[in-house]
Amino acid sequence: MTTFRPYPGDVVADTADAVFWQACREERYLVSRCSDCDRHLWPAGACPDHGMAGMTWVEASGRGRLVSWTVVHQDYPSSFRGAPDTTAVIELEEGAFVHSALSCRGRPSVGMAVEVAFHQIGDGVVIPVFCTVGDDTVRDHRPPGVPPPGPTGEGVREP
Amino acid sequence: MAGEPTIVGLGLSPQGRRLGVSRRELRRRAIDEALADAGLHRRQVDACICIGTELEDLRYAGLTPRTSFALNSGGASPGLSVLVAGGLLATGQAEYVVCVYGEAWTGEAPRLTPHHGASTGTDLGGYSYGYPYLHGLVGPASVYALAAQHYLDRHGGGSEDLAAVAVTERSYGAVRPGAVGFGEPITVSDHQESRMIVDPLRLLDCSRPTDGAVAVVVTSPARAADCAATPVAVLGAGTGHNLENWWNGTMFRRTGAAPDAARTAFRRAGVGPEDIDVAQLYAPFSIAVLLQLEEYGFCDEGEAGAFVRGGGTGPKGRLPTNTGGGQLSGFYATGFTPLSEGILQVRGTAPSSQVPGAELCLVSGSGGNGGVQGSWAHVGMILGRPR
Repeated sequence: MTTFRPYPGDVVADTADAVFWQACREERYLVSRCSDCDRHLWPAGACPDHGMAGMTWVEASGRGRLVSWTVVHQDYPSSFRGAPDTTAVIELEEGAFVHSALSCRGRPSVGMAVEVAFHQIGDGVVIPVFCTVGDDTVRDHRPPGVPPPGPTGEGVREP
Repeated sequence: MAGEPTIVGLGLSPQGRRLGVSRRELRRRAIDEALADAGLHRRQVDACICIGTELEDLRYAGLTPRTSFALNSGGASPGLSVLVAGGLLATGQAEYVVCVYGEAWTGEAPRLTPHHGASTGTDLGGYSYGYPYLHGLVGPASVYALAAQHYLDRHGGGSEDLAAVAVTERSYGAVRPGAVGFGEPITVSDHQESRMIVDPLRLLDCSRPTDGAVAVVVTSPARAADCAATPVAVLGAGTGHNLENWWNGTMFRRTGAAPDAARTAFRRAGVGPEDIDVAQLYAPFSIAVLLQLEEYGFCDEGEAGAFVRGGGTGPKGRLPTNTGGGQLSGFYATGFTPLSEGILQVRGTAPSSQVPGAELCLVSGSGGNGGVQGSWAHVGMILGRPR
């Protein structure tokens, strides 16, 4: 699969979240948790109260609610092709906040229930995408970054 | 005690698109203008705080301070530099501190390109913010867009609330010589018809980089009395950080001013929002004005849109705001856009839209990155005449 988009290893300076990305390949959604206070945190790092010692990865429900969303129409990076995705911030059931792509039909609604799906964006590269709960059609939504079918040029952002 | 840090010199180079002057030359001019404004000799500068994308060039500027260092927290840097200058003064390290910024953007803006694990690449730059870039969520506009969407949804507001900010700032910029919006007022329709940049932010909700330099000279109240220019004191300041707001889920309601920065600034100055005559808010995107009007307590939650639509931030309003056109229609010199205009307003020498009798001015700045997109530092300062 040809992709122009960044991979997880491109956007962080170390392998602190390698376990998370491996789990995505197995379609399991993890979140880091501090075992001292049971607080769930994202991105992976130290707990603001207890540091790194108690941090572990735990399986999350993969469900949450939409906090906010946007569509980046301006062609800032050279790394995405095709129509822009809807991007979002999700509050997980476990209490952590995450940035993600959002796949839903119609205009997103802040507060709506969402659940995770997994999209392969490259060879062995799988990222989570959140979808409207109960809408199986959006789970089959094209992977982010892949141009939609149609005449050449359709959906390509203006420079 | 050194007392409140007091600004006794302001140097403001031309500000605009593609001036054709190098950034170090712009900085040199701003420094010399600030020294002339203060009535100081360059040898009297004993500390220099340098803000910008490259290391300082003291030699070129003709400065020989005892200490000099870079301060890099984006739009929060200018305000923070004044506070750090206060620390240098208080610890006996300096008597006159220059804080200087200057940029000249030439050529095309750099664009992010993925490198897929290669040893080179710039994906980790300040505009990618790490993980959000995976999904195409890049640039500072996207942070403010998430806040704007959240705000409009939360309060049932419309894009007209954002338009009101842009139109008001342009009304100030349209009469300010040298501003990017000079001579070009806009209407709400112009805003609504401008193209979408990052939903719901349209072109006229966004600032653009401009070339220019700004320098200030900071000293103690005692020495300020001997300087040529009308002194402007930092009567109170407060800092806050949006990282805590990320952890507790309020980041998309805030620029980082609430709760800490606003509370501390007002408490230390011994005044409240009702005492402020004029505000200069760091707002590279329109939504930041609405958020800060509420964070600083000028409006109740959800009421800033109506306040701006009703002219509250206009020339005859309760709180004239961003009176030089702000960053949308004036110029973008990070936190020096609000700080420089705040100094002029308190001196009573703004070249246009001077607020009569302005005694207290709120100035703000946000910037940097605490490890999550949007988790930046914030600084608020209340400027006034020395007391």
